[in-house]
Order: sequence, then structure tokens, then C-alpha cells
Amino acid sequence: MGWGGNAGLQYVIFADLCAYQTMETQRPGRMSAPGITEPAEAIARARAGDANAWGELYREYAPAIFRFCRRALPTREDAEDATMEIFMKLREKLGQYDTTRSFTAWLYKVAANHCWDILRRRKIRQDKETEDVESIPLEHPDPNQLEKLIEQRTSEEVRKALARLRGRARMALVMRYYSDMSYDEIADALGVRRAFVGVVLLRARHELRQALEGNAALAAGGVS
Amino acid sequence: MSETPGEKMKHLDEMTCLLYAERQLDRARALEVSAHAQECEACQTLLRALERESRLLTRAMLEEDEPLPSRLAVFQERARRALHWIWGLAFGLAATGAYALYADYIQPWQRELEQAGFGGSNLLNLLIFQGAFWKGWQSMITVLEAAALMTLGAFAVMFLRRRMRRGGALAVVLAGLCALLAMPAPAAATEFRKADTVDIGKDEKIKGDVYIMAQRARVDGTVDGDVIVFSPNVDINGHVMGDVIAFATSVRINGQVDGNVRGANNNITITGNVARNVTDFCQTFTLDANGKVGGSLTSFSESFSQDGSVGRDMLLFFAHGTFAGKVAGGIRAKGDSLVITSSAVIDGPIRFEGNKQADVSPSAKLASPVEFHRIEKHMTYRSSSYYVWQVIWAAAFILFGLVLFALMPKFSEDAVKSAEHYGASAGLGVLVLFGVPIAAIIACITVVGLFLGIATLFVWYGSLYFAQVIVGAVIGQWLMGRTSELWPLIGRMAVGLILVRLCTTIPHVGGWVKFVAILWGIGAISLAIYRRFQPTIAPVAPAAPYTPPMPPNTTVGGTMPA
Repeated sequence: MGWGGNAGLQYVIFADLCAYQTMETQRPGRMSAPGITEPAEAIARARAGDANAWGELYREYAPAIFRFCRRALPTREDAEDATMEIFMKLREKLGQYDTTRSFTAWLYKVAANHCWDILRRRKIRQDKETEDVESIPLEHPDPNQLEKLIEQRTSEEVRKALARLRGRARMALVMRYYSDMSYDEIADALGVRRAFVGVVLLRARHELRQALEGNAALAAGGVS
Repeated sequence: MSETPGEKMKHLDEMTCLLYAERQLDRARALEVSAHAQECEACQTLLRALERESRLLTRAMLEEDEPLPSRLAVFQERARRALHWIWGLAFGLAATGAYALYADYIQPWQRELEQAGFGGSNLLNLLIFQGAFWKGWQSMITVLEAAALMTLGAFAVMFLRRRMRRGGALAVVLAGLCALLAMPAPAAATEFRKADTVDIGKDEKIKGDVYIMAQRARVDGTVDGDVIVFSPNVDINGHVMGDVIAFATSVRINGQVDGNVRGANNNITITGNVARNVTDFCQTFTLDANGKVGGSLTSFSESFSQDGSVGRDMLLFFAHGTFAGKVAGGIRAKGDSLVITSSAVIDGPIRFEGNKQADVSPSAKLASPVEFHRIEKHMTYRSSSYYVWQVIWAAAFILFGLVLFALMPKFSEDAVKSAEHYGASAGLGVLVLFGVPIAAIIACITVVGLFLGIATLFVWYGSLYFAQVIVGAVIGQWLMGRTSELWPLIGRMAVGLILVRLCTTIPHVGGWVKFVAILWGIGAISLAIYRRFQPTIAPVAPAAPYTPPMPPNTTVGGTMPA
């Protein structure tokens, strides 16, 4: 098959379509994946107005939401403020939470909407950006070069490159690859058609690669 | 990769590869892609690269590169408290704003109107608009204004912080500080004098306000500002161009005061000239035959004696009152007995509410006969106004409770819990209800303790009302069940309070109900305060930043090997 002996990636090409379709719900780390237990009892108590239960939920989820905001928003101060505002909002809206659905998914949905609102208010999303995305050239990149670029980059470099992206590109990547939101959820949060989400994500990846290459060039220039 | 352009055309585009890798293609398209990828090495490589890119992204984002900020770690516990400070500050600002509005706009307008001949001399006007109560506290208000300004500044910074980066916010703060420094300094400074005996000599002239704390205070010289004095014995023989605010056992004003005189004293004697208003809480009030008050006079005293002249109205609460001087305005008085002697000249109407008819000398020169109202010993339960007032009182109590619960939710909750320890509450209630006022009065005897004593009395008096609110909350919980949340507790408090107020209207029993409620509630408050000062063994919530091992979110294979 020519997978370079990397067994961990073999599921990329599926033995049959059944496996392809079921993979969506079986991906590791999926919010509603089996094995991830949500503190249902604390959620129920918090919904009933128990302040201690709410405190438990806060302590459980605040670090994850803070990191979400940290990745999505430009500065640490923004992320701190946004985290507090999100939890205040969550507390108000807790009664509206549908208990038959994943609490974590709901949490991230609220967080994503809040962060996107912040970015939007700051006019980070510009009409021009939409135009750029519309006219994205769907080129076939050199797969070997791409693989090489990815192999050489560390997590820290990726984070730095991510911080240099524009609001929507960063937001889309964070929603998809940090909080594992579905295309439907991303479309809903960003206010775009579902069919457009893939384009937004691909465009964001291109921007990220450019930023990573820019980092590398900068590093090389710094050394020499 | 060495491929011809023709071959390249057959490859899958990146968008399709990405959608395939992300399981977003429909069945038919996915089948095509799958079949192609089985055969095409370049597309396999691209798919693999995209998948690796996804994993790299996920891993990079999930890594805990920075801990949860401490401000967020304690946010849950502090958020509400912070909000309550905001409540308190908002009230403070509103009060200061109201004062500023009065001092800057209403009063100058009123002065203009008075000069134009529209000056009234009714007693409502005296109490509300003449400023007998409100005017003259400038020195203290200045501090409040500064606090309000700083609070506004803090709010502005908090508000701007969201919109600007740190540097910008800092610039605003610095600019504000510079602006404050650039503002013209007040014309007069405030002087503090503290000694056993403070004597401002005859030739001495103080420019600005003076605060005096002494066993004996004497002002023979001139003060171009206010005199605020805490002393057992106060003599004002000189000239005070501002107000005199005196907390003292004995006050004698023999000189000239251009502003107002107000205070809380054992006895006050005015033989000099007060150009504006006098407001005093005292045991014995004497306006000597030579004494003169240019404005209005308000007094809460046991014994009131007026031989000198008063330029405007008088509002008086006393046990025994004597009018022997001239009053240019009207008089409204409430007390046990009133004597109007032959030398009295009263130009306005006199309304006296007392236990017996005023003893009026036939030689007294009165503009109109004394309008006498006998004090009603008992409320008329048949009167509809009585019930209207009960409703108003109940609403006022609920509002008072709401403000207190919102300002101090944790303490209120503790007090409600303490109220369920009936024995301890009742015992402590007796001790505090009777002990605290006695202790406060004793404290008033000393100079230092005077302010503390008066402040304690005020707090004690306020807690009599708060006690009923607490009892209301307990009764509300009995009826509607327990809760640890603020707003449900406030709802229960409102229901319980209405019941308590209803019970207090029952003839003969109502008074006792009120007494028991106060006793019980004040005991609960005291118990809550006592417990608050006890060292706690187990903290309620962790203060240190807490980071769980892994958030229950989401990875796209983040934990799998890349």
C-alpha cells in the first residue's frame, strides 16, 4: 500500500465505505465518544441551582475553555476575559442545555460563538477575507514537500504560526482541531454554508503552511 | 515527484483529499477516492500528509503550554463578591451624584428663586430643600467625591481594558493621573489638630478646614473654613466662616458662625450668632436670649429652650419645650409638653403634636393660634391609611432585604443558617439587643469612642431591621424549602417578610411578634458575625490554580502516535 509502514495512518484509506462512514463517530477524542464520561450528576445539580456543583463544573472545564480562547483570540488578556464571560453566559444559559446531548459539545459551541463574536466585533472578519476564500486556488500541493514541512515543525512552531493567522482561519482550525466540532457546528458558528467549511479549513491550512514556512525562513535568516 | 502534467491531472485535488480525510464526502465520492488512493502513491502521500497535519494541529493546540491564570482559578469564588462591590459602589456613586446634583444645581437655583421672592417657609421645604440635613458636610463629601472619582476611573480602566491592550490602558491611567495633578489645587488645605487641649488663639487665623480631636477644644480665633470637632468640651468664641460640626458632650457657641452648626451632643448652648441653619441631636438645647440663628433650626432633644431669635422655621422633637424668643418662620414640634412665654414672637404657624395642650401666655405674640394634635397612642386599625402604610412598610422591608442580600449574599446566607440555631440565636440576641447600645453609649463618653459609639448605634439600629429580614428568610425557607442560591433565597425572604409584617399588625400580639423577630434575627446576625471571625479549618474552595489532568474534550487522534 505504500504507507511507509506507519500502521497508525492506515485507516486513512478505508477497507470499505461502512468503515468510512462509521469512522466519523469513532474518532478518538470525539466529544460524544464512548469512554469519555461527563459529570452528569454535577450538571444536573448545577441546573437545579447548586452553586457547589457549578463550582465543580467550572474547575473541571475552565482550563479547557481557557485554552480554547487562548488559541482562538489574539492575546492572553482577551482569553482570560472571554473565559470569564463564557462561564457567566453558561451559567445563565444552563437551563437551556439539552441534557440528551453532549455537555462538552454545548460548552464549546457557546465558547466558539462568544469568541467569534469578539473577533467579529473587532472587524477581524473582513469582506476582503471572504473574497480571498472564495477565490482560493485548489491546487495539488507537492505531497512530499508538505510531508517534509509537517515532519520538521514542532508544536510550539505551530502555535506561533497559528497566532499569526487571521481571525476566521484561526477560529476555524481551533473549532475543528481543538474542540473537534463538526462541519455543521462550524458552519453554524461562523455563519457560513456547510459546503463552505471545507474551503475555509483548507484556506486556513494554506495560511498556516505559509506562516510555518515564514517562521522557518526567519529562523534561517536569524542563524546566518 | 517526477510526473508528467498529464498524470498530474488525474490526481485528486487537495480539497477532495481533505474532505475525504475528514470523512465529509458522500458514499459514491468516497468510494472513488478510496479506489484512486489505493493505486496512486502521490495521493496516498497527500492524504497521509493532511492527516499528519491534522494531528500536529491538534497536538499543538492541546498542549498545556501555560497554566490557568490565577485570576481564572479563583474567578468562581470571587466573581460574585466583585459584583457586590460593584453594587455597593454603584449605590455610593449614586448617592454622591445626588448630592452633587443638589449642591451644584438645585441649591443655586433655589437661592436664585429665594432672592426673586419665591422663598417658602414651610417645614417640608425646611427639611428637604433648605439643606438643614444635607448641607454643611462638604469636608466629608470631598472625600466621597474623591472616592467616587477613583471608582469611576477604575470602571473606565476596566471598560477600556477590553478594548485596548495593556499599554493603551496604562496610558489612559497615566493621562488621568496627569490630569488630576494638573487640576488646580484646592484653595485651602485641611488642618488636623490633636491634643489634650486645642486652643485656636484669638489672633490666630486658619485658612481652610480644621479637624480637632481633644479633651477640650476652644476656638477664639478665625477659621476660614469648617470646624469639625470631636471633644467633650467645645467653645466657639471666635469666628468660623464655614460650618461647625461637633460631636461633643458640651458645646457653647458664643462667637460667630457664618455657616451651619450641626452635631450630636449632650448639651448645646448658643449665645452667639449662627448665620445659617442649626441641626442637633442632644439632651439639652438652649438658644440664649443673645443667641441668633439666621436660618432654620432642627432639634431632637429632651429639653429645648429658645430665648434668642430664629430667622426661619423650626422643626423640633422634644420632651419639654419652651419658646421665649422670636421666630420669623413657622414651627412644627412634637413632644410631651410645650410652654410659650410672654416674650415669644412667632411670625409663622405653629403646629404642636403632644400629649397635652401647649401652655401659651396670653401676652405672647403669635401670628396664629397653636394648632394642637394629640399624639395617638394606638394605631387606628380601622383606618385604611394604616393598611396602606403597612403595605409600603412591607415593600420597603423587602427592598432593604434585597439590597442587603445582594450586597452580602454569603453573610446573609450564613445569618439565615445561624437563625436555625434557636437557642444560640435567642441568647445572643438578648445580649446584643440590650448590651450593644449600653456599650455604645459608654463608648460615647470618651473622645475616641464617641465616633465609634455613634457608628455602633447606627449599625445596631440598622440591624434591628436586618434582623426582621433574616427571620423573614427563615420563615420563607420553612414554607418553600431550603435553598443555597441567592435569588431563590431572596424570593423566600420576601414571602417570609410579608408574613412577619402581617403578624406584626395583629393587635396586642403584633408588638411581641416584632420583638421576638428582632431578638431572634439580631442573635442570628451576631452568631454569623461570631462564626466569621472564628478560624476555619477547611477552606471552602481551593485558592490555588487547579488544572485537571486532561480536559474532557476532543482530539482528532491527538493521543495517537503520529
